[in-house]
Amino acid sequence: MINSSPITTWEGAGAIYTFAGSGAGFWFFVMCVLCIVPLWVSLRAENKAEREHR
Amino acid sequence: MTPEELQAAISVANTINLEVYYYWATAIMVLIHAGFLMYEMGASRVRHTLASGTKNILAFAFMIPTFYMFGWWIYLAMTSGFSPDFEAGAAGVPWSEWMGPNIQDNASGVFVGAFTLFACTTASIMSGAVIERIRMAAFVILAVVLGSVVWNLSASWGWHYAGWMVTSWGYHDFGASGVVHMISGFFALGVLINLGPRIGKYNSDGSANVLRGHSLPMTATGLMLIVVGFFGFLGACVIFPGTGVSFHPELWTNIYGQPTTLSAICFNTLMAIAGGIIGCYTMTRDPFWMMSGALCGVISAAAGLDLWYPGLAFVVAFAGGILGPWAAGILERMGIDDAVGAVSVHGICGIWGLLAVGIFMGGYPPISDTIPAITFMGQFKGMIVMLLLGFIPGYVLSLIFKMLGILRASDGVQMAGMDVEVTNVAYPEDIKS
Repeated sequence: MINSSPITTWEGAGAIYTFAGSGAGFWFFVMCVLCIVPLWVSLRAENKAEREHR
Repeated sequence: MTPEELQAAISVANTINLEVYYYWATAIMVLIHAGFLMYEMGASRVRHTLASGTKNILAFAFMIPTFYMFGWWIYLAMTSGFSPDFEAGAAGVPWSEWMGPNIQDNASGVFVGAFTLFACTTASIMSGAVIERIRMAAFVILAVVLGSVVWNLSASWGWHYAGWMVTSWGYHDFGASGVVHMISGFFALGVLINLGPRIGKYNSDGSANVLRGHSLPMTATGLMLIVVGFFGFLGACVIFPGTGVSFHPELWTNIYGQPTTLSAICFNTLMAIAGGIIGCYTMTRDPFWMMSGALCGVISAAAGLDLWYPGLAFVVAFAGGILGPWAAGILERMGIDDAVGAVSVHGICGIWGLLAVGIFMGGYPPISDTIPAITFMGQFKGMIVMLLLGFIPGYVLSLIFKMLGILRASDGVQMAGMDVEVTNVAYPEDIKS
């Protein structure tokens, strides 16, 4: 189990999201990559359709 | 104005705000059912359209009185397992002073309303899976058992601050990945095993045919309405701050009493919708699955919606968007004809949602010394409980109906179209299927 909590108590807690202490940047990067992958999938499908219906 | 009068005015404003908040959250949740109605009718072939719609509307309507009769009582009384706490359940018996108009009680009606709509959602999830061959009376009874008994039991155990899964294992399921989605998904699986596939779904060699619904645009639009309704659903999963029924005087909390904000839910709901759609697009490039992907995403992220970093909510939802159609393909190859992918979207993504919390959410402090922190094993055991609690009643009850011969419509009625059993026509211009 990954310890992602930035807090040790709920008293006075602020940013409570996972990896708020450190590591959130990694997940931001993964999200960016996952936004690019479907564009590549889309381009491949479109290029295939273009070739088949030229 | 004296300080006492000012305090009284603040208290009244708080009570009214709470009442208004849940009232409108309940109204928005009705959109889920508008969506399910469109979704299921669109996913049906023309000759089954109205029967699918009728079934869906009846599930919604029957849930309301049955939830009033015994659903709310089960939720309040069964927190320790199968042994009822009659004192805790007293407020939920239909003849109690809180179960009707009461000038001193602004909360019970709107809470019962919101929970009734959760029940309607749970039952409607099963509804889509069984279209085009289930008989109406059997379906209604199954829906009532699912929505007004089983869901209430699961919520009492894992979606109540005093539920035994919460107090024993630290089970965390903010947006009901397990208590709603797994329960309904695996209940549907139990029913589907006994119900069997639609005529023409499978060839003699075991290969599956695609039985396309008559209106994908209607289905996709219905799914978008469900997504809108989920803002009401997930908004109603938080507890309004204040005095009286609230956990905290100043902070929104989740149903376990841990602080959260509506902003947290907004961040992560949006990310989950987007992640699920994009994941499903990457996997299938099919508009049906893209919109189902929004549900895959929300359900995958729902259990931890109050705590995810939005980027991680997107990643978890993206994975759910891959998982949903992949699991649907496996189920189809196993001979399970799930017409709308309910088992995979709700059941399998629900599993992923609970486990994702177990994998990623270590270290969060419990709200009190009497409740354990979130652990992977707590989430895993909770997942097993939800799987069994959903599957066993669905399988056993539908098996009894099968033996009684009241579960599945005859081949003749299926071939003629289930609409022969309702008294109207979907398309008077006689559009052919």
